[in-house]
Amino acid sequence: MAEARADTLQSVELADGVEIQLRVAGPAARSMAFTIDLLLRVAIYIVVWIAALFLLVKAIGMELTTGLMLLFMFFMEWFYNVIFEAGPRGATPGQRTMKLRVMSATGGPVTLAQAVLRNFLRVVDFMPGLYLTGILCMLFTKRFQRLGDLVANTVVTYVDPPPVRTAHSELRAERRAPPQVLTREEQAALLQFMERAPQWADERRLELSSLTEPLTGAPGAEGLRRLCGMGLWLQEPEEKNGKPPPLKGAPPLPA
Amino acid sequence: MTPAQFEKNIEPRWQKLEQLLTDVEHAKPRENIIELPATFRQVCHDLSVAQHRMSPQRVTQRLNALAIRAYRVLERRSAGGWESLIRLLAVEFPQAVRAEWRLFWFCTALFYGPAVLMAVITPFYPEWAMSLLGPDGMMTIESMYGEKSTPSDYVRDNFGSGFAAFCYYIWNNVSIDFKTFAGGIVGGIGSLFVLLFNSIYLGAVFGYVHYSGNPLTLYTWVIAHGAPELTGIVISAMAGLRVGLSVLKPGRLERRAALVLAGRQALPLLIGAAALTSIAAVLEGFWSPLDLPPAMKFTAGGVCWLLVAAFFIFSGRRQANAS
Repeated sequence: MAEARADTLQSVELADGVEIQLRVAGPAARSMAFTIDLLLRVAIYIVVWIAALFLLVKAIGMELTTGLMLLFMFFMEWFYNVIFEAGPRGATPGQRTMKLRVMSATGGPVTLAQAVLRNFLRVVDFMPGLYLTGILCMLFTKRFQRLGDLVANTVVTYVDPPPVRTAHSELRAERRAPPQVLTREEQAALLQFMERAPQWADERRLELSSLTEPLTGAPGAEGLRRLCGMGLWLQEPEEKNGKPPPLKGAPPLPA
Repeated sequence: MTPAQFEKNIEPRWQKLEQLLTDVEHAKPRENIIELPATFRQVCHDLSVAQHRMSPQRVTQRLNALAIRAYRVLERRSAGGWESLIRLLAVEFPQAVRAEWRLFWFCTALFYGPAVLMAVITPFYPEWAMSLLGPDGMMTIESMYGEKSTPSDYVRDNFGSGFAAFCYYIWNNVSIDFKTFAGGIVGGIGSLFVLLFNSIYLGAVFGYVHYSGNPLTLYTWVIAHGAPELTGIVISAMAGLRVGLSVLKPGRLERRAALVLAGRQALPLLIGAAALTSIAAVLEGFWSPLDLPPAMKFTAGGVCWLLVAAFFIFSGRRQANAS
């Protein structure tokens, strides 16, 4: 059964054996990037057309100018995205503005072939209008891939990791070992609680810590204090006068 | 080791990797660049350890971002430049067409069959062709290939008009190739539609010219560039169908994997089709409008068809199979 997830992180194993996590971008951010690119392309068209009409026509004549403009349009229509996405940054100007980039679903950079495939299929993703097919397809794939992404095996990800807010506030709690062996998931939950608790209101902290009453053995503020103490112990188990960590399979210590 | 100690231990490594990557990304690698792969692997190891020990997100996320960045740098390969483009066109493209010979003959039959049928019946039942072409289409054909036209009517004598025509054909016809390919992902329907529509329209034009125009004007005009142009559209439909078939009939693969594989197989076909259509644009822009006797045009046109056929039969035979 698929686990319900609260984030869009996608785990990928690299060729070197390490598992990395990709933050795939959804339709909203990508639509913004597309709109920026669209405006940029319109601006380029306007500038180039004006330059052609006033300078090029005089220099090389109407027919050659028409020809060059047609070639330019062909290039812009099909290769604007390809050139940028296959480049070193893997992103068009619009995607760069939105801090996105195109990656191979294997975690590596996009190859020229992949960039060609994913962009030529835009024609179909656009149909019947406003990228309806592409957006529907993105909603039904777990990596937000449109048809072009599926064929080219690419994903659009955020460049930067999400901002981690660290609020520093003194924890007035005594380090204490948990009364029983915690599983890895439980330890992870407790450590995350420690990381995020400083950002919450007192009521929220108490609400969450009261869930662990079976572990802390005390309600309310005292329970929270004990929980934070266990969190501190997990962060620095071997400091100063800390008790030895409970051994695996050892009988639970009295609280 | 406590998490804080661990963080302190790995800090120099990630700072070193960051430095190395910044150097590479600004295209100013220093001497210690050879340490990049080793440092990358160390940081990968640190990331695994951090993930296992449930280090704070601030640490794992930073290592994760660093690993992705380094992997992009290490895995980045140049597209291969002109050499690989020539190899793609001269070796992989004909090999891909031969490998998909069933699909090739299927598309060829689907393209030329209805066209010939339409052309043959039009002189006897012109109504179909007339309704397909419409009044505008018929007037255009009358004005271009009408009874009083001669092969030398469409001579373009200056370079400029030839160049403009060439660019128009690139913009229009190569775009059609690309769209034909893209339409294929919908189970091949888009590609089949473009193929059949062009086939019947072409048949109608030929039939209508036989019915009310001067066929010699038409044939001397199209014989040469028709060879690469029509082959180009057939092959772009092949590329589209290759992708469409992988959706319909993925075989033993998962549909998603079959689609990726089909995309990889279709790419040489697509690029090859675009190249053929570009050659057709050159011929149509500069050769076809030359004022030459029909006998010469037909000879050259025949040579074009033979060259296209010979290319697909012989090119890339000796090279090892690309796939």
